[in-house]
Amino acid sequence: MKNKIKEWLKSGQIDIFLGYKTLQGHPLPHAFGKDNLEDIDTLITGSNYYPLEKIATKLVAEKPDIKIGMITQDHSQRALNVLYIWNQLDPENIKPLKGDGCSSNLKEHADDSHREAGKSGQFKKQFGMNTHASIEEAEIFAQQERFQRWMYEFQKCIKCYGCRNICPVCFCKQCSLEHSNLIGTGSLPPEAPIYHLVRAVHMAGRCIDCGLCEEACPADIPLRLLYRKVNAIVTELFDYETGSRLDQSPFSIIGESITLKLKPIAAA
Amino acid sequence: MTIKRINFLQELLEFMGLGGRLHLEWISSAEAQKFVQVVKEFTEKIRHLGPNPLRGFTLNNLTLDVGAAAGTAAKTACPEPKETVAQN
Ligand code: SF4
Ligand code: SF4
Repeated sequence: MKNKIKEWLKSGQIDIFLGYKTLQGHPLPHAFGKDNLEDIDTLITGSNYYPLEKIATKLVAEKPDIKIGMITQDHSQRALNVLYIWNQLDPENIKPLKGDGCSSNLKEHADDSHREAGKSGQFKKQFGMNTHASIEEAEIFAQQERFQRWMYEFQKCIKCYGCRNICPVCFCKQCSLEHSNLIGTGSLPPEAPIYHLVRAVHMAGRCIDCGLCEEACPADIPLRLLYRKVNAIVTELFDYETGSRLDQSPFSIIGESITLKLKPIAAA
Repeated sequence: MTIKRINFLQELLEFMGLGGRLHLEWISSAEAQKFVQVVKEFTEKIRHLGPNPLRGFTLNNLTLDVGAAAGTAAKTACPEPKETVAQN
């Protein structure tokens, strides 16, 4: 694997390779370049996962023609697909290299990643939403109780934007979550449930269920469960499975289907 | 597409316990009767559901609820502290 990466870099097939390296005892994302090929010997593989795809979008925003290689896991491919669809990355310029990180099927909660949220304590189970609940389990409660439980979860939010910042498919230049006309500013917790519902709605047709947001959330809000439901609805209503195909999200289409092709604007 | 998008929102709201409070209907300007009927029915439905739970819902409210409940939970979970007699 390391030789292959070296070869890619040497031959100019890629300009940079995104992988992981241990720094001060922590596996951290790292960009390997061609000017220091020995560096690649320090590349580590395993179940580390940071949103490398997001790092790639930032690189491309700076240098649109850069060719990027990167270590991928199952969900990374879905993330890449979503980013291709939304024109954030060009598949021509991305060279994925399958890592061996995914301990799929081993954990029932994180079905395609090693990540697993911490266990929900007694109190959370009694008054909030169990992070490990399935959609069906979350729907057992009657409307009023559901509302109470979700509100208990949402009011813990400290508005750190961690869920958005870590998300591989969040790339908008202007984020609704920071728009003062949409979400009240200046108080904590942020306006619940609108803050979380706005993010949930925006994850429709986008979220690829990688679980990073839930892992990043310091308030232990079962975000993944919420977005799972969102995308279950999208699949049910629009027959669209986020990340598994390369067609446009139903939410970016006005009308039933795309009838016009994108054309460059003619020079005046 | 609008129908589906509204369905999407309805289901999402239902999932978090605010179901039944969003309705979509096409009414032409010539259908005054229909307008009256739809508004009436929906008003009835909302009345039946009760006031918007978000109204007046504040963190304090919640902490009180949760706090009271936590009190009972804590009581059942921990044994009563034994009375200690201070020495001296
Ligand atoms: S699981 Fe969370 S971090 Fe991952 S794509 Fe969905 S919203 Fe983004
Ligand atoms: S990561 Fe959690 S606490 Fe931070 S903004 Fe998102 S939901 Fe709120």
